Amino acid sequence: MTGAPFELARRQFLGRMTTGLAGVALARLLRADLLGAAGGGVLPHFPAKAKRVLQIFCPGGASHVDLWDHKPMLEKFHGTPLPGGDAEVTFQGKNGNLMRSPWDFAPAGRSGKMISTLLPHMARHVDDMAFVHSMTSRSNTHGPGCIAMNTGFAREGFPSAGAWISHGLGTLNENLPTFVALQDIRGEPPNGKANWGNGFLPAQHQAVVLAAHQPLRNLARPGNISEAEEAATRAFLARANAGHAEAHPGNSELRARIAAYELAARMQLAAPEVSDLSREPAHVHALYGTNDANALKASYARNCLLSRRLLEQGVRYVSLYCASRASSVDGLLNWDAHKTLKADYERHAPIFDQPTAALLADMKQRGLLADTLVIWCSEFGRMPTHQEGTAGRDHNPDAFTTWFMGAGVKGGVSHGATDDFGRRSVQDVATVYDFYATVLHLLGVDHERLTYYHNGSNRRLTDVHGHVLKGLLS
Amino acid sequence: MRGLRQKFLWFLWAVCLNAAVRTLAADAVGVAFFEQKIRPALVAHCYECHSDQAKKIKGGLRLDSHAGWRVGGDGGTAALVPGKPEESLLIRAVQHLDDDLAMPPKKPKLPDAVIADLVTWVKMGAPDPRDGAPVEAKRADKSWWSLQPLGAADAVVAAGSVAIDHYVEAGLQAKGLALNPPADARTLIRRMSYDVTGLPPTAAAVAAFAVVYRAEPERAVTELADTLLASPAYGERWGRHWLDVVRFGESNGFERNFLINDLWPFRDYVIRSLNDDKPFNQFIVEHLAGDVLGKNRPETEVGSAFLVAGPYDDVGNQDVAARKNIRAATLDDLITATSGAFLGMTINCARCHHHKFDPIPTEDYYRLRAAFEGVTHGRRVVASAEERAAFKSATGPLNEQRTKWVAERAVLEREVTRRAKEAAGQVVATRPKVNPELTEERFEPVGVRAVKLVMSASTANPKSATGSRIVEFEAWSAGEGSRNVALASHGARAEGAKSAVAEDFPEAYGAHLAIDGRFGEQWFIGDPAALTVRFAKTETIDRVSFRNAKGLMIEDKAQGATPTDYAIQVSADGETWRTVASSAGREPWSEAHGIERARPEVTTPVEARQLAAVSAEIANVDRALKAVPPLREIWAGKYAQPEEKTFVHKGGDPLKPGDGVVPASPTMVDRALPSFALEADAPEGERRRALGEWIVRDDHPLTPRVLANRVWQYHFGTGIVDTPSDFGFLGGRPTHPELLDYLARRLVTAGWRLKPLHREILLSRTYRQSGAHRADAARIDQEARLLWRFPPRRLGAEELRDTMLHVADKLDSKMGGPGFRLYKFTQNNVCTYFPLDRHGPETYRRSVYHQNARASVVDVLNDFDLPDIAFAAPRRANTTTPLQALTLLNHSFTTDMAQAIAVRLERGGAAASAQIDEAYGLAFQREPTVAERAAAGRLIATHGLAAFCRALLNMNELIYLD
Repeated sequence: MTGAPFELARRQFLGRMTTGLAGVALARLLRADLLGAAGGGVLPHFPAKAKRVLQIFCPGGASHVDLWDHKPMLEKFHGTPLPGGDAEVTFQGKNGNLMRSPWDFAPAGRSGKMISTLLPHMARHVDDMAFVHSMTSRSNTHGPGCIAMNTGFAREGFPSAGAWISHGLGTLNENLPTFVALQDIRGEPPNGKANWGNGFLPAQHQAVVLAAHQPLRNLARPGNISEAEEAATRAFLARANAGHAEAHPGNSELRARIAAYELAARMQLAAPEVSDLSREPAHVHALYGTNDANALKASYARNCLLSRRLLEQGVRYVSLYCASRASSVDGLLNWDAHKTLKADYERHAPIFDQPTAALLADMKQRGLLADTLVIWCSEFGRMPTHQEGTAGRDHNPDAFTTWFMGAGVKGGVSHGATDDFGRRSVQDVATVYDFYATVLHLLGVDHERLTYYHNGSNRRLTDVHGHVLKGLLS
Repeated sequence: MRGLRQKFLWFLWAVCLNAAVRTLAADAVGVAFFEQKIRPALVAHCYECHSDQAKKIKGGLRLDSHAGWRVGGDGGTAALVPGKPEESLLIRAVQHLDDDLAMPPKKPKLPDAVIADLVTWVKMGAPDPRDGAPVEAKRADKSWWSLQPLGAADAVVAAGSVAIDHYVEAGLQAKGLALNPPADARTLIRRMSYDVTGLPPTAAAVAAFAVVYRAEPERAVTELADTLLASPAYGERWGRHWLDVVRFGESNGFERNFLINDLWPFRDYVIRSLNDDKPFNQFIVEHLAGDVLGKNRPETEVGSAFLVAGPYDDVGNQDVAARKNIRAATLDDLITATSGAFLGMTINCARCHHHKFDPIPTEDYYRLRAAFEGVTHGRRVVASAEERAAFKSATGPLNEQRTKWVAERAVLEREVTRRAKEAAGQVVATRPKVNPELTEERFEPVGVRAVKLVMSASTANPKSATGSRIVEFEAWSAGEGSRNVALASHGARAEGAKSAVAEDFPEAYGAHLAIDGRFGEQWFIGDPAALTVRFAKTETIDRVSFRNAKGLMIEDKAQGATPTDYAIQVSADGETWRTVASSAGREPWSEAHGIERARPEVTTPVEARQLAAVSAEIANVDRALKAVPPLREIWAGKYAQPEEKTFVHKGGDPLKPGDGVVPASPTMVDRALPSFALEADAPEGERRRALGEWIVRDDHPLTPRVLANRVWQYHFGTGIVDTPSDFGFLGGRPTHPELLDYLARRLVTAGWRLKPLHREILLSRTYRQSGAHRADAARIDQEARLLWRFPPRRLGAEELRDTMLHVADKLDSKMGGPGFRLYKFTQNNVCTYFPLDRHGPETYRRSVYHQNARASVVDVLNDFDLPDIAFAAPRRANTTTPLQALTLLNHSFTTDMAQAIAVRLERGGAAASAQIDEAYGLAFQREPTVAERAAAGRLIATHGLAAFCRALLNMNELIYLD
């Protein structure tokens, strides 16, 4: 049974199946059942530093000049016009004079990195972080900007990075989803589900949406069905399906569907277990702030804790969102501080700061950072000027900051720089393609060789661009 | 570096666009010249980047073979024009004739002698003997198979189903294979029913068919095919296929993703057109220019809703460059959809550069753009001339009356306003006008349990305060150490309506934000415009203040309107109120505010009566007007003559205009059929019409092939070309090219109607064969692309859901009209979609009527590969995942349907074994085996009928077809 046609069929079948949730089990099943031979994927292309990824996303255009990118000149020239910026019209219109950050920056860590005092907890991690200060985006609008940051394209329909990685590397734990998106309790990020969609990749690569406040859909058996009834029903079903498969030799999909039901049953055990935060000791809860009086912070803290548990259990790619979409009031639900920067960020930063820092400290202490890559991002930055007639900042796709941490990342370094005021990235300018070329590199994947044919093109996460940001690598 | 290279390529291909490729016989002299002068120069100066030696071939251009420069690089046409050095971009590049065009890059210019040799060589006709080592074709040119005219039929074969079998069997015989024997009656009728209508047959229909099939199989199958094709369910099934192809979705996608509730007429139009067997050439032209062909004929006009059925970004943008990019992306969707759906070509790949794999220069992309330049997304009235006339005659007189009454009211009001203005002028303000940043009222200390702010005007509206905003409201305790007792943190509670909601964030905009002690969030004042603050205990207060801005860094301006006219009321018991202060005496916010304040005092009782009477008349007319059904608006797009001519965008950048283009046919098939080109300022509608008519020419190599292949694909699971919207170089090659051409020709000769083609396919032995697996055949053709068996398949998302409803006898067969939704959605600036946990009976319609919103995940459909419709989905994925199992086991839709089947089975009051038989009949149209009946009986005895029905709905036999 190992002739060429079967070999071909196996590869087609595995190509379709192995990267999904069902992958490992089905591969094993097929190996045992059909082939008696070990199959081997082509990925990774070279030894990986990171096995899994934690992506933290602060949607709304988190201001680089108020959080990560210290600009002394901005303080010095506060209240004066941005040189050369007279006629600048950005997303919402005209801009006023330069506006210093309402918060001081202070040196942190051994590296002495200047970090906003708005983030006292995060400041403790700067020696492990590698900043990219010279990011640029192709869109100045939240929705397209967010999906561009997640998929490389400013329009819908393309797979998110998590989906690509699921497609390329597959699962680490067959009983849990490969790619999980934890959305904020305040709602979906701009452009919603397109941020974690599979695009044109097969559906099993989309993120499973799950959060501390939002259990996996359809996981629990219906309330009126007893355990005994469930068992008897499943036994009846298994028997019927086995008989049907036997009568239909040569249709491996039938076996795959039987295996998918078995996997579903195991997920029904594994998912509630991993989501059960009550198994964590009180001091861990305190570290994250899961019982904080600020309900939004407590909710995000629980998602941070859940993220760690998911990663620990072998979820390949976790997308963790802090804040959500646009609302009738700019900056209310996310980091989009158009008009009232100070009030907005005094609301958002405390939600983000302690829980995220606790997550990183916890992961480090448990050794998870040794093979987990952490990436932080937003869809773009903000202007160094204030928006005309307001005390906020407009969108700035020409400059923003992201950072890397964990497996394979050199701590305490910075790549690229913006100009004196943070208006534009000017040194070693980086793009989302460079960002993901680097992420894939750390996962042992050559970004130019991770491709998928769709409607006339061999598509890539990095389109036709991308250079690994080597300066960030340890 | 990269930029330079890109520019080089761009110029290279732009100038060489129409260069003819001549086949050259390399004569002896030429070869000698080549070997002496040219080959060494190429090796020395070019091979580093443009040959096998290169780490990466730059720009896709190879100069180490004749074919290399003849085929060209990523741009798509030859790098040299033999005999014409001045048109040869390679020559121009080495001559550094253009600033951006200098080769080799970052190196000194080549020696003059070398350049002179190259020029001489090209003048000679560029003789190149290196044909022995041609590069493997890495792109298509105009000789590509799909761009050639349709081939002629095999002379020996008659038209019809026999022709189909002839071509398929020829393919099988070449591999030593043969068709399977015919499928059994039950398998065949199940296959045909699902295939044509998307629904299973009834057990009775299967039994009846089986009887005839045994005796007269031809008659049985023919009658069945005709019955099924005549069923309205055919249009629902095949219409759904077409909606996939044309990326039909009913929300705009992107950030706002608002629902579009008036695009369903296009869905109904598709279903109706398929049921009517409308010629597809007409159908396609209607898609592109229905509004032009069928002005005031809604049936036709609605077709061009195709253009605006895709996603587009509607978020406003003040940045000019961003706006142009967004517009370019919006039109890109139209171009992508058109070229993929009808032509099976990825012309969209030529947006930034010439197509890398197909003979599509970037100009072709912009020629299509020129055709769509005047299209914008939106809704408009689509109505017949009669409807318009009827509407006009119904509303015309009413509008005249209204105008009369409104004029009368204006006269009355003018007089009152004049006096009110006079009176307002007499009033001397004793206090300054309200200050949005802080307005304060003082009064005698009073012990109260609650305070109320009743508002009647705002800075934006002298007649109402609804819609204005307050950041913070404060009530101050009397005496020393005055403190704000209205703070929520002191136990106060705020009540008041709000004028904005964010359903997924119920805290937003509420009155509690006015007493939260923070200055970031505003209360959006609703109707009635009143704020009540109840204190934790009785407080003695002598001052209240409110504000709509506070203490920010540079500019401290209120956002939105602020209340201007108000009364402060207090209550000692929380029930009875008295006014302690008001805006009286303050300078009015504006003259209009002052007039509104004075108006009640100066209106005489007579005037008040007259005004009330006139207002009542106007209200009557408005009611009558409202009762006239409005002309229907449809999301069918808006069309206007473009203000600007269309230009090539260099590198896809709308800020870098290149040469102008005119609305014209793309050039890839210009050898096979005539082109068209209109004037640059041709009328908008004519552009789309001309394009449509060109696409559906009978002699078009692509359109009939692409359409025939789609039909084949939906019957057999895989097309003859397995990439249905890409007949280019990266697409699949036809497994049966003669068959494809046969089907394409049949389509055209049948007047572009699909039903004759369906019929021929359904009646073929190829289609009617069994799906039985044969190991020997599988060894040669595992995927059965040669069709030695009928390929088994899983039901699609809609088929599965419709089958569950059908088996449960819950399927509402109502056709058309607004769709139903299996999600809840909230709208607050942007839309958010939540899949429903419970599906009510109002959703029990065929799934084609589901209002599919983009980026909304509805588990019972999307888990089973209903695609998100960001792009066309010409071929659906087919996945098997544990999430499918979880949804189908645990979603209440399954348990509801299981319960409904149980009720259905119990209806007859039959014995358990008869119920089991009936259940197998409903679900699988067969009897259970003895063992199955026994097992089902045991499950029912212990856990009831519903448990068995739930298992039934999860069985592989339900979801897989042979």
